[in-house]
Amino acid sequence: MLDVWIDSIISGILLGLVYGLAAIGLSLIWGVMKVINLSHGAFIALGMFTAYFLFAFGLNPYLGVPIIFALGIILGIAVYFVALHRIIDAPELSTLLSTFSISLFIIGLGTFVWTTIPYAIDIHVGSISIGNITILGTKVIAGIVSIILTILLYIFLYRTKTGKAVRAVSMNRVAAELMGINTTRILALSFGIGIALAMTAGALIATIFPFTILSGGVYELKSFVICVLGGLGSPIGALVGGLILGIIENVITLQIPTGLVPFIEFTILVAVLLIKPSGLLGGEV
Amino acid sequence: MIVLETRDLECGYGEVKVLWGVSIKAKKGQLTTIIGSNGVGKTTLLRAIMGIIPVWNGDILFYGEEITKMPTHSRVEKGLVMVPEGRMVFPHMTVLENLEMGAYTKRAEEKKDEQLEFVFDLFPRLKERMHQKAGTLSGGEQQMLAIARGLMSCPEILILDEPSLGLSPKLTLEIFETVKKLKDEGLTMLLVEQNVHLSLAISDYAYVMAEGRIKMEGTGEELEKSEEIRKAYLGI
Repeated sequence: MLDVWIDSIISGILLGLVYGLAAIGLSLIWGVMKVINLSHGAFIALGMFTAYFLFAFGLNPYLGVPIIFALGIILGIAVYFVALHRIIDAPELSTLLSTFSISLFIIGLGTFVWTTIPYAIDIHVGSISIGNITILGTKVIAGIVSIILTILLYIFLYRTKTGKAVRAVSMNRVAAELMGINTTRILALSFGIGIALAMTAGALIATIFPFTILSGGVYELKSFVICVLGGLGSPIGALVGGLILGIIENVITLQIPTGLVPFIEFTILVAVLLIKPSGLLGGEV
Repeated sequence: MIVLETRDLECGYGEVKVLWGVSIKAKKGQLTTIIGSNGVGKTTLLRAIMGIIPVWNGDILFYGEEITKMPTHSRVEKGLVMVPEGRMVFPHMTVLENLEMGAYTKRAEEKKDEQLEFVFDLFPRLKERMHQKAGTLSGGEQQMLAIARGLMSCPEILILDEPSLGLSPKLTLEIFETVKKLKDEGLTMLLVEQNVHLSLAISDYAYVMAEGRIKMEGTGEELEKSEEIRKAYLGI
């Protein structure tokens, strides 16, 4: 019995890191742009399909991560200028509707092209066994890739000039512009990075679970719960929130049906909002 | 030489017109001051000069070149630098990081080390607090940091919006001494202040604003002697 628990906790940690990665994207977009990205789930699903087709063309999905990330940045920047740039100063409802319509557009188009039947990436990288505990290699690699990307994001935000400009814009956009920072470019880049993180997380999840074009919604909900847990706008908080959610999710499903997981997640969301709305770790970029 | 000039500037927010044709000039090496009570449009004028809000009518010229429609960051790149009202330091960044952000433009980055030495010389207290988060500084220190950050941008003209706002009389004096020092160094400045007496005492030229218009102008000395100013602002 103990083995089952340890197994669940390790799986939870690894999956939690991937969930955290998607949530960091959501958190970054909120922190810098004050935009709640309702298209996050759609881009997660788009990342899943990108990984699927790269794999179909013979490219290992893990080696495909840089390509998917780059594609995410380009797509995100394009979407920023098409759908967000003109309403970035409008009340939050406008950007909420705009990102929601992007989501509808992607999911509609995806349903038309790929229908809603499940796809899966049939990749085998073995597994790690210690005693009676067996952890799938895909989960281990997904967790490691998530950690590496989070570290790279931190180096970018805290050590590079452009990254510092991103943080400056998140703290005060007018002041950043007064420093000579082209804030439009920074906003576009931040949305690009946020989308790239969503798509990459999607690609990693796709190596573990089967998916459809509608799968993104579930992970978007997880991202929101994680952001609220860790405090919106805090990347480290998002990662910790991801770990907490991953562990809870894997451990409780030992006792209760999987179908109840979204219910539990929503309960956590409401509970945190009621008790500590700033998130367990506060929130700052 | 005129560094900055506005010609019949009109602008406002939504339907409300705030500036009704404001013309000012700031000459090289001089300290030009705009005084006036709350809500007459001083900050709006500066926001228009920096391009934070759009101009409805009129022109803004920088060294004779029209910059009315230029984006804010390009104006900064040219050397038009503003220390905003309310300081606006980056609270979660260290003092040093804030100063680095000041030297963001290519032009300023080249002189970063020199400027850093200069501002640490001017504000030794900032050097002591170099690695402290800016949000943890006192109001006076934050104002110093805001001015230092502006200086890091290597300004052709430094625009100061109410630098003494919310500071104690002692700190206000300190800030004014700094402004005086910078003026003696030859820096061109445009100062907006409610502290009429102290500003007039150190300015070369001053404008008095009321209801979105320039009501009077003259050298600091002239205005200080003017009966109208004494009655309206100095309370004597």
